[in-house]
Amino acid sequence: MTALLRYQAELLVRSHRLLPPLLLYGIFLAIGVQSGQPVLDSLGYTAAGLLPVAAWLVRVCVAGDPPAARQVAAAATSPARVHLACVLTALLCSTALGALATVVVARISGAHSADHRVAVPVGEATVGGLLAAVACALLGTAVGALCNWPLLRRPGYALLATALAALVALVQAPSPAHAAVRDLVSGSHSGAVPMPVPACAAAALLCAAATAVACALSARRA
Amino acid sequence: MRALRPPPGELRTTLALEGVGRRYGPRGPWVLRDVELAVPAGALLRIVGTNGTGKSTLLRIVAGIDRPTVGRVRGRPRTAYVPERFPVELPFTAVGYLTHLGRVHGLRGRPAAHAAARWLERFGAAGHAHTPLAELSKGTSQKVAVAQALLADPELLVLDEAWTGLDQRARAELDRAVAERVADGGAVVFVDHDPRRLAGAADAVYHVHGAGLAPRDPDGPLAADGPAGPRAAGRRVRIEAVGPPGAAPPDGLPGAPEVAGAPDGGTALTVPAAYSDALLRALLTAHPPWHIRAVTEPPAPEGPVAPAGRAPHPPKPEERP
Repeated sequence: MTALLRYQAELLVRSHRLLPPLLLYGIFLAIGVQSGQPVLDSLGYTAAGLLPVAAWLVRVCVAGDPPAARQVAAAATSPARVHLACVLTALLCSTALGALATVVVARISGAHSADHRVAVPVGEATVGGLLAAVACALLGTAVGALCNWPLLRRPGYALLATALAALVALVQAPSPAHAAVRDLVSGSHSGAVPMPVPACAAAALLCAAATAVACALSARRA
Repeated sequence: MRALRPPPGELRTTLALEGVGRRYGPRGPWVLRDVELAVPAGALLRIVGTNGTGKSTLLRIVAGIDRPTVGRVRGRPRTAYVPERFPVELPFTAVGYLTHLGRVHGLRGRPAAHAAARWLERFGAAGHAHTPLAELSKGTSQKVAVAQALLADPELLVLDEAWTGLDQRARAELDRAVAERVADGGAVVFVDHDPRRLAGAADAVYHVHGAGLAPRDPDGPLAADGPAGPRAAGRRVRIEAVGPPGAAPPDGLPGAPEVAGAPDGGTALTVPAAYSDALLRALLTAHPPWHIRAVTEPPAPEGPVAPAGRAPHPPKPEERP
């Protein structure tokens, strides 16, 4: 498994397909985050933007391997392991990206509530922001795992489904990503730092379930 | 059927398909149905059949890449697979990709890199070791595909027309690599459109026909697998060796040689050409070792007729002490 992860990670770093989602996320943050803005608002924005990026990264990893190379690796291990390595690589990448963005945003933002009346501790806010970012990365990975090969094989449908599912996961109430981002934004109004641990746990469960379904199907759709 | 190596008493099945069926989609036609196949260790199995009969699907199930719709696959040896085409656009050099694949096959980093360089050299692609995969010719790409499969001495090697696209020298090298795997106790399952490929060397031949799989006489004609006509017997090599006084040749020699007496107390062992190196190695490293007196290419045996317009290979002395 380590060998597969190393292979997939190097493939991701060396291929230029990593650049578009990275650039998009950078532009998204550059537009929406400015220094001195309320820290919890900015962290909520940072986490929310990560969800579609995480879903896109799954697509980059899953579709980045030509079928012949995938079959060769699957014979040496198993199709499910190869697929798991793809999804895990994407998850690790989006989590690292989210963590980096959260730390940078927390440092440049203003340590106060939205109305500038309550001071917000930066350390605590960073932890809350990291949890929200992880929840969004996990849910985005779940969306990516369900909206790409082997479940959806046509690129057009896959892209459309990924965009719609990412949007729904961000704005619809039962979604843990929505809950985590909402907690940050409402925390910015009150000045209390939320710790979206339940949202994180729920997102981890959803991500594990989605990945398990995708991996189980990967041998049937070879 | 020729005797398998190791001797029949020690035969071990590495992989077995039991009642395997495969179709794509719940209403699709059955590509394979009720397939029973046992792959013994140390056996070379050939799959024949006309195009589009499910040979590739069968090989993918044997390789563990595809799962049967019904039935089951028992056993999962360390497996390597070579697809028919390997046009991969990956951002690695040949040796970089092979080192990664060596690790995926279970080697450590340094042995993986050494094995990558060694196999590229064997197939005459050492000069392309540091060429990006995307810039390789079709033939060199195929050499990389073949090398990745042989890196870690797999217990089961699955070759889907792996010879296609290779040059003459690399094809012969792959023949020998296959014989080495079999001589070392690995199993090899292959499909090739050329009926002369490893002719006479296969331990069993199976015919895919009408979604079913039926055993064939391995020494019979392979007309359904390529150009019509009787199968050429395949090149054979005759090794004349002298063992310790009164000793019979060791058991389980590579290529299941035909043994005959030779003048001056020698023994003549005849094997398919791909096995000649493996047989020589086995004889020279036997305890006590055998002395090699001559290696020759005998005329094609009686019976099978060479294709019209082609003269059988004349006996060609390759080595005379």
